[in-house]
Amino acid sequence: MRTFTSLLMPAGFVCAVLAVNACTKKPTTASETAATSATPTITIGSAIYKYEDTFMSGVRGSMAKAAEGKATIDFVDSANQQPVQSEKVDLFIAKKVNALAINPVDRTAAGILIDKAKAANIPIVFFNREPMPEDMQKWDKVYYVGAKAEESGTLSGEIVVDYFKKHPESDKNKDGIIQYVMLTGEPGHQDAELRTKFSIKAIEDAGYKTEKLAQDTGMWDRIKGQEKMAAFLGSRGDAIEVVISNNDDMALGAIEALKAVGYFKDGKVMPVVGVDATAPALQALQEGTLTGTVLNDAKNQGQATFALSYVLAQGKVPDQANTGYAITSEKYVWVPYKKVTKENMNEVM
Amino acid sequence: MGAAWKRIAAFSLEYAIYIVLLILVVGIAIREPAFLSAGSLRNILLSSSTRVIIALGSALVLISGGVDLSAGRVVGLAAVLSASMLQIPEYARRFYPELPNLPLFVPLLIAVAAGLLIGLFNGLAVSKLRIAPFIATLGSMVIVYGLNLIYFDQEPNNSQPIGGLRPDFTALGSGSVASIPYIVIFAAVVVGLIWILFNKTILGKNMYAIGGNKDAAKVSGINVDATLIKIYAIAGALAGLAGVLEAARSGGAKSNYGEMYELDAIAACVVGGVSTTGGIGTAQGVLAGVLIFAVINYGLTFIGMNPNLQYIVKGLIIVAAVAIDVRKYWSRS
Repeated sequence: MRTFTSLLMPAGFVCAVLAVNACTKKPTTASETAATSATPTITIGSAIYKYEDTFMSGVRGSMAKAAEGKATIDFVDSANQQPVQSEKVDLFIAKKVNALAINPVDRTAAGILIDKAKAANIPIVFFNREPMPEDMQKWDKVYYVGAKAEESGTLSGEIVVDYFKKHPESDKNKDGIIQYVMLTGEPGHQDAELRTKFSIKAIEDAGYKTEKLAQDTGMWDRIKGQEKMAAFLGSRGDAIEVVISNNDDMALGAIEALKAVGYFKDGKVMPVVGVDATAPALQALQEGTLTGTVLNDAKNQGQATFALSYVLAQGKVPDQANTGYAITSEKYVWVPYKKVTKENMNEVM
Repeated sequence: MGAAWKRIAAFSLEYAIYIVLLILVVGIAIREPAFLSAGSLRNILLSSSTRVIIALGSALVLISGGVDLSAGRVVGLAAVLSASMLQIPEYARRFYPELPNLPLFVPLLIAVAAGLLIGLFNGLAVSKLRIAPFIATLGSMVIVYGLNLIYFDQEPNNSQPIGGLRPDFTALGSGSVASIPYIVIFAAVVVGLIWILFNKTILGKNMYAIGGNKDAAKVSGINVDATLIKIYAIAGALAGLAGVLEAARSGGAKSNYGEMYELDAIAACVVGGVSTTGGIGTAQGVLAGVLIFAVINYGLTFIGMNPNLQYIVKGLIIVAAVAIDVRKYWSRS
């Protein structure tokens, strides 16, 4: 047994070292050749708050595509931890990248990153999570690309309004009040709170009264959304007139729970709205189980982030002519959300 | 009087876990009488079913004196693996656009086998390489997550949630026979098999012996390494099976499935009377532990308790249940 162990350990270590070498070598040679043959040596350092995030994967893909043939983007994962991200930014600065494109883990930590970038005179573009306004004013080479989170809530509320106008019978107890249940994202998450608040505000602004039957957090998660919805159905049953979810995953979970108690067959329906327009959500729109969702436009967020970083990396001042995006208050590019229902889903596929 | 009181005290200590479960159910039912319904029972059993499968794997490892931190990530890997190969052909964003319709059992076996392999790796690391189980499975937890992320980020999927699962697959998670969900039947079978493993097999006896005193077990002729490898492999396969069922039940999969399930499973085990230092624990206790958490999760949402407060209640129950449970062994020693 001793020999087995003593053989295995160095062998394993050698394998690990080889694997690491193989992984680190390939991209450098690739970027070197790309740099010498096709493109000028513009490098953008980009830290993503969490690699596995569905939406950020879309933004990342769109940035990489926009950069093809123009610049090299070094992407790193911040693993959802601000200290990790700060270290990565230090690394980019040490590498002397031409611009930084940062998707902050913690929006309040952006100020420190701006100080670092300013000290090294490297322009910095934040995206998807908005730094505090006072931090944005610290330096002129700081920009932000993102969507207005409250807009996603407003639009999902409008989808509910559209549905109730078209289907007045959805007010099942005819009391003129929309009885809803709400599945919220992670507690304290800015998007979760704004979506919750503004979806209801949009319904009330349209002249409907609302009554919250239940609200609980499904932590953005499909299985948790399913289990919470099952509990709502257990306690409130058919009194529920609409399900509003902070994202599509939880909305799809809720649909599974609704199916389990007999909805979506024999004419028994329940309006369910989500946010994100993920591929499974579009499938659910097609099947008629999901009523509507709201698209956070990953493609345009990625393109705008790259366009700004690219212009800044060349030492120029971004404007609508050289980026293709309108810049408000000299620092902000707002990418709008879109309502998606069965009627217009082909536009986003 | 004195003797009777002592008997009652001893009885409530012995069955503390089940009494806690009963108090919870009664308490919730008083707040909201509608809680006592077939629907509630069904939902609680549904959410317990995958969790008890993972928890039994964790219990195996805990009783043998180890711990398996990789279980949650194995759930995620198995969910993604099985879902990626079981999408309907007309789905717009298939993981494998050209994949033919595979027989249902093929992807399921692949996913469970992946769990088994990771379990084997854990077992080898713990026994042959003598790495502390906490460290070995912490390593494999991170490795498995990395593997899953790479798989999930492949073209053309690019980290998008996997949907459009085949109806024969989702039926495993949402179908039922005589109004008993299949998934509950699977869980019941697993509980039964693990109960037999614990109580009627040599592997089970060796597991308790190793967890109680590893050196004594070795001296008495037990092949400790072989036993540990088998135990970790079974735990891995159980986590894999749970992952497959999670995908089937929810009708989709993402790389973050199963996140923190290992800690939920360990919590359910300790609340169910499994000792974290090894040698002690029963299958029925684990089942009770899982049910307690399912009742809390479902019941507190049912009565509309503030979600932030729910965390505190869960934490208190873990501490309180274990505080009561350890007294059992105080009085014996």
